[in-house]
Amino acid sequence: MKRYFGRKILIYLLTFFLAVTIDWMIPRFMPGDPVRNMLTRVSVNTNASAIQMMYDYYSHLFGLDMPLWQQYLSFWKSLFMGELGISVYLFPTPVKDVLLRAIPYDAFLLVPSILLSWYAGNKFGAFAARSKWLDNTISPLSYILTATPYMWLGILLAWFFGIVLGIFPIAGAYSFTMRPNLSWNFIGSVFHHWFLPFASLFLVGFGGWAIGMRNMIIYELEADYSHFLGALGAPKKLVRKYAFSNAVLPQITGLALQLGVIVAGALVTEVVFSYPGIGYLLLAAIQNQDYFLIQGCFLFIIIGVLLANFIIDIAYILVDPRTRRGMTGETA
Amino acid sequence: MSAQKKKNEFIYFSSRNPKLLAGVSIILLFLILGLIGPSLTDHDPFAYANPLGAQPPSSGYWFGTTFFGQDVFSQLVNGLRATFLVGAIGGGLGTLLGMLIGFTAGYRGGVVDEILNALTNIVLVIPTLAVLLIIAAYLEVRSIFTECLFIGLTAWPWAARAIRAQTFSLRTRDFVDLARMSGMRPLKIIFTEIAPNMMSYLLLVFILQFGGAILTAATLDFIGLGPTNAISLGMMMQYSVMWGALQLGTWWWFIPPGLAITIIVGALYSMNVGLDEVFNPKLREM
Amino acid sequence: MKRTTIVISILAALSMLLAACGPTPTQAAPTSEPAPSEGQEPEPVATEFPRNETLYVSGAAWGPASTWNPFQPGSLANTTGTIGFVYEFLFDFDPLTGEFIPWLAESGDWADDTTYEVTLRSGLAWSDGQPLTAADVKFTAELGQKYAALWFAPLWTNTGLTAVEAADDTHVTFTFSDPLYQEWGNYLYNLPIVPKHLWENRTEEEITTGANEKPVGSGAYMYLDNAEDRNIWARNENWWGINVFGKPAPKYIVDIRTSSNNIALGMVLKGELDLSNNFLPGVATLADQGYVKTYFAKAPYMLSANTAVLFLNTTLKPMDDAAFRRALAFAIDVPSIVNVAYAQLVKAASPTGLLPSLSKFDDKAVLAELGYKFDTAKAKQMLADAGYADVDNDGFVEAPDGSKIELEVTCPNGWTDWMAAIDIIASSAQEAGINIKAAYPDYGAWNTALQGGTFHMTLNNWAGMSNTPWTLYNLLFRHPIQEQMQSGNFGRYDNQDLFDLVDALAKVPVTDEAGMKAACSAIQEMMLTDMPMIPLWYNGLWSQYSTSTWNNWPDENAANPTLPTTWSGYWQMGGLMTLINLAPAE
Repeated sequence: MKRYFGRKILIYLLTFFLAVTIDWMIPRFMPGDPVRNMLTRVSVNTNASAIQMMYDYYSHLFGLDMPLWQQYLSFWKSLFMGELGISVYLFPTPVKDVLLRAIPYDAFLLVPSILLSWYAGNKFGAFAARSKWLDNTISPLSYILTATPYMWLGILLAWFFGIVLGIFPIAGAYSFTMRPNLSWNFIGSVFHHWFLPFASLFLVGFGGWAIGMRNMIIYELEADYSHFLGALGAPKKLVRKYAFSNAVLPQITGLALQLGVIVAGALVTEVVFSYPGIGYLLLAAIQNQDYFLIQGCFLFIIIGVLLANFIIDIAYILVDPRTRRGMTGETA
Repeated sequence: MSAQKKKNEFIYFSSRNPKLLAGVSIILLFLILGLIGPSLTDHDPFAYANPLGAQPPSSGYWFGTTFFGQDVFSQLVNGLRATFLVGAIGGGLGTLLGMLIGFTAGYRGGVVDEILNALTNIVLVIPTLAVLLIIAAYLEVRSIFTECLFIGLTAWPWAARAIRAQTFSLRTRDFVDLARMSGMRPLKIIFTEIAPNMMSYLLLVFILQFGGAILTAATLDFIGLGPTNAISLGMMMQYSVMWGALQLGTWWWFIPPGLAITIIVGALYSMNVGLDEVFNPKLREM
Repeated sequence: MKRTTIVISILAALSMLLAACGPTPTQAAPTSEPAPSEGQEPEPVATEFPRNETLYVSGAAWGPASTWNPFQPGSLANTTGTIGFVYEFLFDFDPLTGEFIPWLAESGDWADDTTYEVTLRSGLAWSDGQPLTAADVKFTAELGQKYAALWFAPLWTNTGLTAVEAADDTHVTFTFSDPLYQEWGNYLYNLPIVPKHLWENRTEEEITTGANEKPVGSGAYMYLDNAEDRNIWARNENWWGINVFGKPAPKYIVDIRTSSNNIALGMVLKGELDLSNNFLPGVATLADQGYVKTYFAKAPYMLSANTAVLFLNTTLKPMDDAAFRRALAFAIDVPSIVNVAYAQLVKAASPTGLLPSLSKFDDKAVLAELGYKFDTAKAKQMLADAGYADVDNDGFVEAPDGSKIELEVTCPNGWTDWMAAIDIIASSAQEAGINIKAAYPDYGAWNTALQGGTFHMTLNNWAGMSNTPWTLYNLLFRHPIQEQMQSGNFGRYDNQDLFDLVDALAKVPVTDEAGMKAACSAIQEMMLTDMPMIPLWYNGLWSQYSTSTWNNWPDENAANPTLPTTWSGYWQMGGLMTLINLAPAE
């Protein structure tokens, strides 16, 4: 148990280390002069001496005038002090503030869609494994859903429900006629805007989990213990229950493995629906060559994914009796 | 079981597996469309062919035209080429890297395995798309091949992990022990003894990598970080949204590219399930 | 099954906890907002905006609000109205009539060649109740002298301002030495006046780069709130201008940032958006069918806002040859750019590059003699006359010295209308035998090439509506030539005679129209003979409106049309008058 945790945490630390290093490296080893590119956005209507001042300021912030190893160390130092620089695109707002404003929207969109699609997918997948007829309807549908590119499903939903039927808004996080307040009207508006992006993420995820569960259960039902139980005369329902319990474990691991893909899906879904989360922000940062903001978004995504992985690990241990008893062998 | 008999059995079950057959036919259909499609149309994918702008499908423009009067059919078939290229090269590269690392880790075991496994787990956790986005954002000129390269370079961990686990179980089999005792070099053992015995497995891995690469490329292209000198299905979707295709009701612009990707990736999954059933007799009973 | 439930609930609980750690999007009511003046009940802070009192606009902002500092004009697009709504100017300027409209100033004039005198209106006030006086004007102008990083520092270093004096509360005198009259005219409606009592204790950093949250100004609207995708302004019920210009009809203005044109288009069609200043390519069709209104009922539908110019890198062969450049001007199929790339939303540009609002400065005689228009045959003839011939029979001409010509025309990747335009430039040039290919580098690469002078030919449109032709010629013939050209003359065209002509124009008094015309004629003659860059078309003042909630929008038939735009920097060019003229729909 201790060893298992130790290993996991070591991996996470290494991952974080590597991610930060990548984050630091990319702007420095890519061709071109990032600072100059960045500044052209503000160069219209501004005089040359002001630009030179900003150029010096950002070069200094990037630390481009120091030896590489020193740049690297100072990058870590400012990171630990929560200093992510100042956004160029949203000058003079600190990157940290920009990110903190976007995070609640991500949590609100991602957490329910991940959990509900996982739950519903597993339920339906188990259901599909029950009979040929169900299998022939749920499985193909699930395959189609999981093969759909996130943004295309988003586009279709936006087009059909937002434009053809006109019953859902397709942009923003709440109505343009309101300011945030604690009224039912406002809360309703928030959910109204949340629904379509949520549905896109939910549906694609649902397909994948249903297939995973269906396949797992069939493997489990073919396993010796199931046959043995069956031969002993255990009711079918009991056998299925055992199969389900065992099939859930790899699905939890699967959730950890899929996080990266889901996050990517959320990024494009936010773009389709102009939902003001990190994905939407990252796109704007890229389009505006705001390197500090790009770096910040990347860091936040990494930290989020690592945290989620950690939570899933804890959940796995709580659910799996073997890890609870301290089994540390090969789990992969 | 002799090799010949095994082969016959494979063909027998494959030719009777509807999922596999359907998947393969669809993929072939799209592949042919991508290969010969561009010669079926006179219009360059970017040419402003139709002076009337966005027009629904007609005999002159089979899939209609974009806002600028570009031929959607021409864009689609040329985009299919890009899609297959990304799938084949990106997915292929991912599989190869996965094999290299998976075999090495699985066969050598010990410290090498520890290190490679840790590396795999690390890269697995980092959301690849985020890394790709950043790299793509800094590359000022991007081609389909750089896209393939970067997708391949970030997609391998999953394959490596699966292949490692399989190699692990094969490593201790008698025939591998025998080969090892007869003084065969490790590399040779991997390629003559281990790899052929998991050929079916490698094929499944490649198919999934192929589909994954297509979806990743579509995402990158949609965000506007696709190739700067070509057309792709993801870019078609990006342009259609950017140019108000949803509001203007030009459905023929945004439906075909997404549908094509969905069908291709769906067909790949279907092939995968079919092949799985062919290779795994237990699954056939359902 | 129980296990699944446990997992779900643990995950849910933990993630809610995480979500709760972030700041809530809800902001408290602005506390530092100016206290309402006496006699008025403090209005409850609105949480919902009545449709019939609210104007919804979009198309100015391309990012979330980040600054309300009136001295960062480049970043104010995201909080359009910061200058115009909150901070005001001595004058406004009407580009449609070319007239300066006294605003904070009651009058302003050159007392002699080097002295400009301004009389302020009486009864001007800041929204916190303090009076706005000559001291505020003096304070604002002198900030440019103090801090070189401010954009208007050249007012002192370049335009020739030497001193500002406030005689009493309403009289300000600006003293110059060798003034650039044209540029000064520009400052009159572009330099926002800030309140001395709130700014005098700020540090240099706060003034030059500070965000100036919750701005306090003198104008018709006040800051109310902002979020990621919107800025909300509320009418200043105590605005000094209500008695002079009238009360703007909308009580609230919600300025929406739409992530894509497609969303703005949908909102206009549904009447959720009253005025969209986004570039909506399909709008010609919708206007013809009566779904939206535009300034002109027929093509080009939009007023012209700025000139798209093809810059040629004159340091490279064969663009260093004037004969080649002139032939190229005839080879480019501008009509196709207008009709295909823009679906008729733009107009072909005058060869002088001047916007229609400045067309009185076009020298008709020079245009008749030296103007150009799309004519492939003529282009071929001109190339042949200049010694360009297809020696190796590849369908493209070679330079007179026999070297091959292979050129690239560029614009940033993703700027689809420009991409379509340069495709047309390349293909029509090929028709004439000039081997030009279109390329779309990423924005960064494009920009590096533009400023570093490593491109062959590329598009740029940085000079917009102005009171003077000098603004455009200052962009086209920016000098001296430097290693990095950041704000004009990207093709590094080096012609001291022409530079002298531009400098001479800058010194012509604004009232001397004949003098300005003469200076422009000389510039135009030399420019069109030498053709260092090629003006192609006018980008539009994109604007489409819905009449479902608000009426009285300006259009070509209006008695005194104003600009239907919300772009930052245009409020003082008639944008605000448009709001004042609005009336609720029946």
